[in-house]
Amino acid sequence: MKRERHQDVFTERLPAKAAQDAKQLRKLAGDWLKLRRADAELSQADLAARLGLKYYTFISQVENGFSRVPIEIMGAWARELGLEQAAFARHLLMYYEPELHRLLFGAESK
Amino acid sequence: MSVVAFERKQDSGEWSEKELSTLVAALGAVSRAGREWETGMTEKGDAQFYLLGPLPDQACELCVSRIGGRYILEDGSGRLLFEHRNLERVALHAKAAVSSTSWLMVRAITLWCAIRNTIYEKVEPLLVEGEELFVEFVPQLAAFA
Repeated sequence: MKRERHQDVFTERLPAKAAQDAKQLRKLAGDWLKLRRADAELSQADLAARLGLKYYTFISQVENGFSRVPIEIMGAWARELGLEQAAFARHLLMYYEPELHRLLFGAESK
Repeated sequence: MSVVAFERKQDSGEWSEKELSTLVAALGAVSRAGREWETGMTEKGDAQFYLLGPLPDQACELCVSRIGGRYILEDGSGRLLFEHRNLERVALHAKAAVSSTSWLMVRAITLWCAIRNTIYEKVEPLLVEGEELFVEFVPQLAAFA
């Protein structure tokens, strides 16, 4: 069943054990992005085309946890997934810069 | 009549031993400093090779993907660097990209060391001198006040 957008997609919290491991956190971010893309009913190729990328290999690179969503296309990435841009960026910050996220937003994950 | 068996080029699926050894041979020599590589797949089953940066972050620095018999070279930000049907050529470009990254890193470290050395040699004595002057003059100024 398709998940209602803007409702519970940002509520996931980080497992405490993973807090220090950048590689593991990127993987968690990738898994979350993959789920959101599935919610939006887009393939990697669809998303790449909408973001103006020639190949979908970079989408895979990010979803497999080897790279981050670049800041310059973060807004467009959120838009194509049908998500609110600020909440999307804040949620990704939780994985990419957990300490900065904690300082800015405290314990809340949203 | 004899038939020469050409090696069939792989279009999809995991990396072949030959492809992996080509990539590792090209990148291994320039990425010794604790860097690792991993492989993965796109959702369509295209093979990907990720050259990772140093610990602790281990972010992808270069990615080689094979899509329909074509090899795609991208950096860790998704910039398309090169594409070709010949993996050796792509591996050469990957090697050059890693070398230039390492060269930049060496330059950055050298520059940082030079700046630190300058601060240590020139600025610190001035600060110490200023502090000594301050310590000397404050009681005199206080006496005048």
